[in-house]
Amino acid sequence: MQLDLKKGSRSYQLAILIVIIMAVFVVRLFYLQVIKHGYYVGLANNEQLKQLVIPAKRGEIYAMDGTSPVPVVLNETVYTVFADPKVITTSKEIIDTIQRVAGGNARPNLEGLLAKKESRYQILATKVTRKQAELMKNANLKGIGFQEESQRVYPEGQLAAQTLGFVNSEGKGQYGIEEALNDRLTGQDGLLQSVTDVSNVPLTIGNNNINKPAKNGDNVVMTVDRNIQAYSEKALAAGLARTKATNGSVMVMDPQSGKVLAMANLPTYSPAEFNKVQDAAAFNNSTITAPYEPGSDVKTLTMAVGLDKGVVGPNSTYNNTDSIKVEDRTISNATKGQTGNITFQHALNYSLNTGFVTVAERLGDGSNITLQARNTMYDYFHNKFGLGEKTGIELANEAKGTVISPTDEDGGAVRYSNMAFGQGLDVTMVQVCTAFSTIINGGTQYKPTVLAGTTNDDGSVFTPAPAKPAQSGVISPDASNTIRIMVHDARSAFYASSDRKGYYIGGKTGTSQTLENGKYVDDQTVGTYLGYGGDSQATPKYVIMVQVSGKHMNLAGNTDAMPIFTDISNWMIDYMKLQPKG
Amino acid sequence: MSYQRTTQFSSRRDSNWNRNQNTTRFASNIKLGPVTHTVLVALMITVLGLIYLTQATRATGYDYEAQKIDSQIADLTTKKTDLEVENARLTALDNVQNSSVARQMTSPSETSYISE
Repeated sequence: MQLDLKKGSRSYQLAILIVIIMAVFVVRLFYLQVIKHGYYVGLANNEQLKQLVIPAKRGEIYAMDGTSPVPVVLNETVYTVFADPKVITTSKEIIDTIQRVAGGNARPNLEGLLAKKESRYQILATKVTRKQAELMKNANLKGIGFQEESQRVYPEGQLAAQTLGFVNSEGKGQYGIEEALNDRLTGQDGLLQSVTDVSNVPLTIGNNNINKPAKNGDNVVMTVDRNIQAYSEKALAAGLARTKATNGSVMVMDPQSGKVLAMANLPTYSPAEFNKVQDAAAFNNSTITAPYEPGSDVKTLTMAVGLDKGVVGPNSTYNNTDSIKVEDRTISNATKGQTGNITFQHALNYSLNTGFVTVAERLGDGSNITLQARNTMYDYFHNKFGLGEKTGIELANEAKGTVISPTDEDGGAVRYSNMAFGQGLDVTMVQVCTAFSTIINGGTQYKPTVLAGTTNDDGSVFTPAPAKPAQSGVISPDASNTIRIMVHDARSAFYASSDRKGYYIGGKTGTSQTLENGKYVDDQTVGTYLGYGGDSQATPKYVIMVQVSGKHMNLAGNTDAMPIFTDISNWMIDYMKLQPKG
Repeated sequence: MSYQRTTQFSSRRDSNWNRNQNTTRFASNIKLGPVTHTVLVALMITVLGLIYLTQATRATGYDYEAQKIDSQIADLTTKKTDLEVENARLTALDNVQNSSVARQMTSPSETSYISE
């Protein structure tokens, strides 16, 4: 068929008009579909594509229960119940249901909240459990909504609160292992990008769908044994009640591996209610964050240095006059009367300062704490034992402490004479425990750790963490053997009757002066006890360090800290199923 | 030089004609014009479109199924987590120590050891 339109005819004009209109359409469509393609695709994607974050589950935290991990921090889904007062018609029914089901989690004055008709969002109850939320949903209350959130739960309550830390309202770990391992525990959120329907159900249509699954945080297992931790906390609480001390800490460590078995601190708090804590000091794990002058328990380290360098032995003697002059200062013994030619074992038994200043002198020229003596002490204390340096334990806010170098202006003979009996240096309990473990385990330094390993997602398979590198030969096995016996004899000299028969227990008291505004004060001392125990002389099974303190309180190592050590030590023997020998 | 056919060529099909005697040669007398062709093509496109829509709808139906299953998984996971929390609470040291069984336990008056 051939159209034969006459020019100028109405049909011809109509054809021209149609062609022009079509041309306008084509140009407009070209503009919309080709030139503005990207813009309209963007608009369409905004409308149709939804990006949903798939939240990663925060890793759970386990403690050991003997040889099995048990959960101490878990996640629980809870709900916030909210209302839209504008659409609510049955206030009484809603109030009755929420008060009956949510109980203490319901907010006060529900009637007042629901009366705020100008508001579209009022929170009626928080932290409602899934069961409670289901009961409310089943009541078919109009205008009520539920907002899901995850919260940390602590089935063991306050147990090891400072070691665990807590998770703040922004989901970030604070203090303890929660903060130190926050990145590992957090995991990585996933992403779901998809075309959705009006109910936000993701549909498979479209070319730009992304489904990146969330990577849950690691479930970490601590070396802390919940039974030892619980008993340590109990013994410490009893000890503080007995002595009236206000603050106390206990650390229990495996000297053969550096694993921390317990870290107890008082005052404490409940991690589930961290927002109710009045004094933030309760969050601190004093065993790692609070350096102090540990006092006479450091004499065991000084003696170990002397033994390792071969300048003294347990039966070597010195002339004790109850005081010793170092440069322009006179250092006196706290215990008087053990004068004359006495052995270093005797000096350790009675914790005589003069004996250990003498050891420091013998590291030099025999009568002065020379630079050589100070260098030797610094090399052992700081470089080998790790005093005054962070141990790298997997907990937040570890303090470094201070050990003054001999090259420092303040690192003279007087400073080092004080360091020989545990004053003039600031160290943390974990540093002292690590150093003490090193000198009694044969001379191997194990890095202290609270990380035993990880578990799989449901906590059923435990994968141990690789062992941290250990430094052997820090002191010789002979020196280690000797100091172990000396510490045992020092304890046995006075406190043998308090130990279980057939076990090998050793320990040393420490009573240290404290500084107030840069000056030592007379009305405030810190009591410390540091010791070990086991079923044989050769292999100590545990190290326990106890510290008690209080504002304007004179607390002593032997009367205030030592009974707590004894209590825990005797319990550990049963718990570890150690058999008596000898 | 010329060749002359000496025998009549018959195809194999023709020679088997008797065997396939039920077959018929079909030659329709209906001729389809351009309009019919256009309508048929339009119908085919419509059918193909319907098939596509059916499949797409079915795929979307699976999405709803998947969503329902995902919801069930999430619900069961929440219930499992709740049970784990409950289990942890019930086996917590405080609960164990305060249990009726623990309260009835007494310290042994004598301890014997099996020699190693």
